Amino acid sequence: MFGYWDTLYFLYVLAIGMIIAYLLFKWAEKSSMGTRKTGDGTKIFLSGEDEDNVIPQFEHLRGYYTGRHTMWGLIRGIHRMFLIFKREHTGLLTDYVAYLLITTAIILGALVIWG
Amino acid sequence: MILPFLIIIPLLGAFSMPIISLLGEKARSTWAVLVSSLTLGVASKVFYDVWSTKQLMVYTLGDTTPLGNGVGFPIRILWEVDLFGGLLALIVAFIGLMAIIYSTEYIKHDTGLEKYYTLILILELGMLGIVITGDMFNFYVFLEIMSIASYALVAFRNDTWEGIEAGIKYMFVGSLASSFILLGIALLYGQYGTLTMSYLAVKIAQNPTLVSKVALGFLIGGLLFKSGAVPVHMWLSDAHPAAPSSISAMLSGLVIKVGGVYALARIAFSIYATSISIKTVGWIIIFFGCVTLIVGNAMAVIQTDMKRLFAFSSVGQMGYILLGIGIGLASYGTKVGDIALAGAIYHTINHALMKALLFLVAGAVLHQVGTKNLNELSGLAKKMPLTSFAFLIGAAAIVGLPPLNGFASKWLIYESSALYNPFLAAMAVLGTAFCTAAYIRVLFTFFGRPSEVVENAEEPGKAMIIPMLVLIFAIILMGLFPWQISDKVMLPTADMLKDQVHYIVAVMGGA
Repeated sequence: MFGYWDTLYFLYVLAIGMIIAYLLFKWAEKSSMGTRKTGDGTKIFLSGEDEDNVIPQFEHLRGYYTGRHTMWGLIRGIHRMFLIFKREHTGLLTDYVAYLLITTAIILGALVIWG
Repeated sequence: MILPFLIIIPLLGAFSMPIISLLGEKARSTWAVLVSSLTLGVASKVFYDVWSTKQLMVYTLGDTTPLGNGVGFPIRILWEVDLFGGLLALIVAFIGLMAIIYSTEYIKHDTGLEKYYTLILILELGMLGIVITGDMFNFYVFLEIMSIASYALVAFRNDTWEGIEAGIKYMFVGSLASSFILLGIALLYGQYGTLTMSYLAVKIAQNPTLVSKVALGFLIGGLLFKSGAVPVHMWLSDAHPAAPSSISAMLSGLVIKVGGVYALARIAFSIYATSISIKTVGWIIIFFGCVTLIVGNAMAVIQTDMKRLFAFSSVGQMGYILLGIGIGLASYGTKVGDIALAGAIYHTINHALMKALLFLVAGAVLHQVGTKNLNELSGLAKKMPLTSFAFLIGAAAIVGLPPLNGFASKWLIYESSALYNPFLAAMAVLGTAFCTAAYIRVLFTFFGRPSEVVENAEEPGKAMIIPMLVLIFAIILMGLFPWQISDKVMLPTADMLKDQVHYIVAVMGGA
């Protein structure tokens, strides 16, 4: 049966989902070149080229960020993540040692507090 | 008792190598193959004995009983093999033999081969020592034997800077990690006055102090480094591609598992399981496992160097094994924990086979074509069909495509993580998506239009082909009977590993 804790769990998952969606949305907006903020009385642009083009069936979205730019933003964002990965590590010994020390410190902290 | 021969044979083989080398090239490689074959025979016997009796094998150095005269506690160095140790000894000896057979052709034009064969046998000996020992300091000694042999082998081809740089980096940071492990052992010895693992388990359970937790912290930190977990994986992506491919197969297939996750599991389950909050330890390992499997596999996607891609893929696969062990610890004593642990052990064995095969393929390509740059290797399948087929099998297995062996072990890990926490399962699946992307890229390269570089390529000689075929056979065979292997070998291994009482009683028996 659907009980009290299930409801709470649902709300908890929903809240986290909304936060993740919002962060993703902000990230996409920042990563994208084309996303525009539309104000009162403006139309939604399907692309940057044709200003009169309203997305069929999506007229109600006026006033929100929309269009395929959001998708491009996501794709560009993921691409950017891989570009960051691609910037090879310097390979400095001091960095390696620092990572080892930090990792051990985190483990020690966790074990001393919750062990 | 056959157990000591697991150490004696490779030790004798390694140190007699310079003398045998005086008899010529042929004698040297034959001796190496003979020694590693005998070691495989002994390892098979040890594994079979433990598996058929389901009893731990205990051997005391210099006496018949580990207990001191007139006292009720162990004072001598002892070796204690359970099913997990036996299984890993078997796979170490098997992959070691394959790597040595492969080396007889792959590396025959290099100089200083007596050193090479000596080091490769010492590397094998170090790993075998780690999986059979029941003494903390003895464990450290074997760990250092293994590590020092790996540092030297990474820098074996010292005609390029790549190997030397990678070897030096590996040595410096590896030594620091080893010193953390030594510090952990010293803290335990200072607090409890014993180094025998089973007796330590008793002492820590009686009096779990802050020092024991700090010691565990140092041990986990050092061992995560040795297993190549993110964020301490940087050495691995330099060291594994720089080593000769036969050595890369052993480093990626065995060293990071025996010196990393095996030791981690042994210490967590056999020493600490009942004395501290095992759930915390489990979650620490789960955390590093998740980060490792995402970053390792994602990094593999963007590599253009084939061996570097395989090295990052090893990091990613270690993430799955760590995830399995972490869930095994966090849900200790439940059905989910058992499945996760069995999955981790299964994946350890499977990944050893798959990654050994893939590195041998990379070696064959490098040997025949002279490059490991994926942008230049287009259309290799037409010129080297057998090698490309070996790659296809290895890649399909590592991605987890049924009916190959990777599927079964990954399935157990997915299943247990979905039951334990669906978020972890989502992470695991995301890691596999990256892994698939990485290998499909190589596959497209191999089966694309032939480029100029590969025009004159041909298949390598028999000594390089045979180990690859044997590994393909092992991968397919293990893939055809996944649930039988899981029920008959992996689940009993997991049961035995987490049975701390059995581990203690085997040594303390009469006391």
